[in-house]
Amino acid sequence: MSNKILEVKNLTKKFGKFTAVDRVSFSLREGEILGLLGPNGAGKTTTIHMLLDVLTPTFGEINYFGKNLTDHRSEILKRVNFSSAYISLPWLFTIEEALTVFAELYEIPNKKKRIDKLLSEFEIEHLRKKQVYKISAGEKARLLLTKAFLNYPEIILLDEPTASLDPDIAVKIREFLKRERKEYKVSMLFTSHNMNEVEEMCDRIVFLNKGKIIAEDKPENLAKQISDSEVELLIEEDEKATRLFTREKITYLKDRNIFRITIKTIEIPHLLTLLTSNEVEFQDISINKPGLEDYFLKISKGVKK
Amino acid sequence: MSIRRILAMNRRYFYTLVHNYDRLSDSIYWPLMDLLIWGLTGLYFAGLSENSEQTIAVLLTGIIFWIVTWRSQYEITVNLLSEMWDRNLVNIFTSPLKLSEWITAVMLQGGVKMTISILFSGAIAFILYKYAFFQFGLWLIPIIISLCITGWAIGFSVAGLIIRYGQKVQTLAWTGAYVIVPFSAIYYPVSILPSWAQEVSKIVPTSYIFEAMRQHISSGHISLEKIVVSFALNALYLLLSILLFIYGFRESKKHGLGRLI
Repeated sequence: MSNKILEVKNLTKKFGKFTAVDRVSFSLREGEILGLLGPNGAGKTTTIHMLLDVLTPTFGEINYFGKNLTDHRSEILKRVNFSSAYISLPWLFTIEEALTVFAELYEIPNKKKRIDKLLSEFEIEHLRKKQVYKISAGEKARLLLTKAFLNYPEIILLDEPTASLDPDIAVKIREFLKRERKEYKVSMLFTSHNMNEVEEMCDRIVFLNKGKIIAEDKPENLAKQISDSEVELLIEEDEKATRLFTREKITYLKDRNIFRITIKTIEIPHLLTLLTSNEVEFQDISINKPGLEDYFLKISKGVKK
Repeated sequence: MSIRRILAMNRRYFYTLVHNYDRLSDSIYWPLMDLLIWGLTGLYFAGLSENSEQTIAVLLTGIIFWIVTWRSQYEITVNLLSEMWDRNLVNIFTSPLKLSEWITAVMLQGGVKMTISILFSGAIAFILYKYAFFQFGLWLIPIIISLCITGWAIGFSVAGLIIRYGQKVQTLAWTGAYVIVPFSAIYYPVSILPSWAQEVSKIVPTSYIFEAMRQHISSGHISLEKIVVSFALNALYLLLSILLFIYGFRESKKHGLGRLI
């Protein structure tokens, strides 16, 4: 994972006085899965549309494979593809017809074989004669992914690729994406509202808020920036515990015999030592460490810790 | 330019025609209705005049020739709209397809559909009225090409507005071509137009073609000059219309094609 196959420099988009994307710079390496995250209106879709050349940047530079997108558009888009939950394919076409048109647009050799393989991979081969408007939302998401992989893309932009999929199918899709990355070094730019999925899939995350990059790191490192964990303790001798927590000024929420304490992750060992030394026995414990979702929620609320 | 991508777009619009009854009716139903209504009206009026055969010939040829222009522009504008209706515009323009290839594809598509419509209309005119539309002989070739180019020029002008302003101006796809109808003098000579309209008709390429049509029906001859002028005007308008479409497309990209789906 060394070659930068997509480089974005100072990408900016202004709509009148409103700046939707503000001097965004990032890169994507060969075989890397990069998450593009942020709350609604952060500038994710605007960025993706500029990367696909359906929206002209106000200024900034987009280079794929070392070539400028504006100057080498057709040549570049032959090696790139995308899927989004917000688009469709011609709704009266059968799935086979729709895919055939796109296979020809991408000039795929042996298109029938490629279409058959992908339909089978995404488990929609039985729908090939069905019209697009007759298939379910989940099947449509798989159809769009089939279209997105038709041209053996080296870079694929995936906007909510598993939205509206059943969990078992979503797992299969993720496995497929990982396999494509491993076997063919396909690079992916990935947006999703499923933070578990992002943590599982992405090597690195670019976090956008109000059009600006506010963080860029590995998912686990972003999660670490949230310092609080939640500790849940089941304590039968609750009066003893209540006295201890009051004395030590530890804030808690109590629901019958369950105490919920939000403390800094590094203070958890101290809490446990305190309980042991004061002979407060707990029957069960669970520690909820912060995840990417917590980071996302903090950012969305504009309270970055 | 890639021939494969041009053919792929033609396949795409062929599938739309096959699946969409609206589009089938545009190809067959409306030309048939026009020929029935105006043909019968023509027959009635022809019975009242001395030159009955000429009157009916002018009407029927006018209908069929206008189909050429209308059909050529309609394929461009409605195929663009179909990408928006299908939420497929972004898919198409994030593929390697070049704008020049799309332009070529819809011109080709317009040409093919126009040929089908004209053959169909010609056959109907013959069956219903025993009118041999092919009496124009080889003159039909430049006449049809000229009318087709006018249709393309109107089509790209309207498509430029649609791609820029979206579906709120989609009505132009059906109405845009009719702007030139009064000045084209399809069913009447240019000389009966008010003088200011006659001046306008001088810059409308179809007016020369319909004048030539009437000349051929009445005398059996066609003035080459009229055909040449119509081609010269068409060449200019086609160039300007494609430039307008490209400008509209570029302006639209500044706002994002994604907003149009």
